[in-house]
Amino acid sequence: MPDATTLLTEDEVIELFAFLMTSARSQLDDPCAYASMRLLTAAEDLRDRVIERVGPEARELFEQTRPTSAFAQTHTNDVAVYTATLDELCAATARFLVERFGGPDVG
Amino acid sequence: MAEAMLDLIATRRVVRVMTDQPVAREDLERILDAGRWAPTGGNVRSVRFVAVVDAPTLRLLRMVSPGMFQRPAAAIVLCIDRDALEAERESRTDPTPAYDIGTTLQTMLLAAHALGLGAGPVSSCAWAAVSVVLNLPDNLDPRMIVCIGHAAPPKEQLPMRAPKVTWRDLTHWERFSDA
Repeated sequence: MPDATTLLTEDEVIELFAFLMTSARSQLDDPCAYASMRLLTAAEDLRDRVIERVGPEARELFEQTRPTSAFAQTHTNDVAVYTATLDELCAATARFLVERFGGPDVG
Repeated sequence: MAEAMLDLIATRRVVRVMTDQPVAREDLERILDAGRWAPTGGNVRSVRFVAVVDAPTLRLLRMVSPGMFQRPAAAIVLCIDRDALEAERESRTDPTPAYDIGTTLQTMLLAAHALGLGAGPVSSCAWAAVSVVLNLPDNLDPRMIVCIGHAAPPKEQLPMRAPKVTWRDLTHWERFSDA
């Protein structure tokens, strides 16, 4: 598994930091729904920056969820579809988390 | 001329994906010149333009503008000149400057489209950070960024799905009845 310090360059960290920090401010003026879009954009940006550098399991998660994420970005105007798509992304992420960090099945 | 103008209006789209092809200085100047013809409330002309083509500065602008999906070859930052407003004794709460930004924006978007360029507005920015990036004087309040470049092919654009509407959907003729 790659060392965390090799996943992002310092410049990439600064760019992501700036995006999140300036989003925190701009969201005060933007429609509430934009907050979700900004976080999704940040997640996609992080994914795209590291996808070539992560281990095979994480890469599989990123590659599998990328089309769904792109679909979500183009359906932000349809709240029901957008919500369902984000639920799908969250469920896929959770399945990965359970697989990676979960303990043995009990009972 | 009417048909050409109306066709220009109907075919303009917000461009969110641009190639890295540079924008000719002459084209940028024509867009800036078009902007000066935009109508402004009371003809006060309080909108100022900051044109940016320097790649490092564009990168910085993008870093502090979360709504900037584009990587534009050029950007025009529309600012309100508070000195100009005060010279005209305009109230700080007067919404007219916001309308002036809107008319200027649309005029520039159409000018870019007329020149075969792609353009898209960005208002989701941390304006205090934009002021720092551009080292703006205190009297200039940045309000809008017009991203300009060459549009990537349609299949690469980010579609923003919205229900189709016609002018009839948006229009009510004459006075509303009580019923």
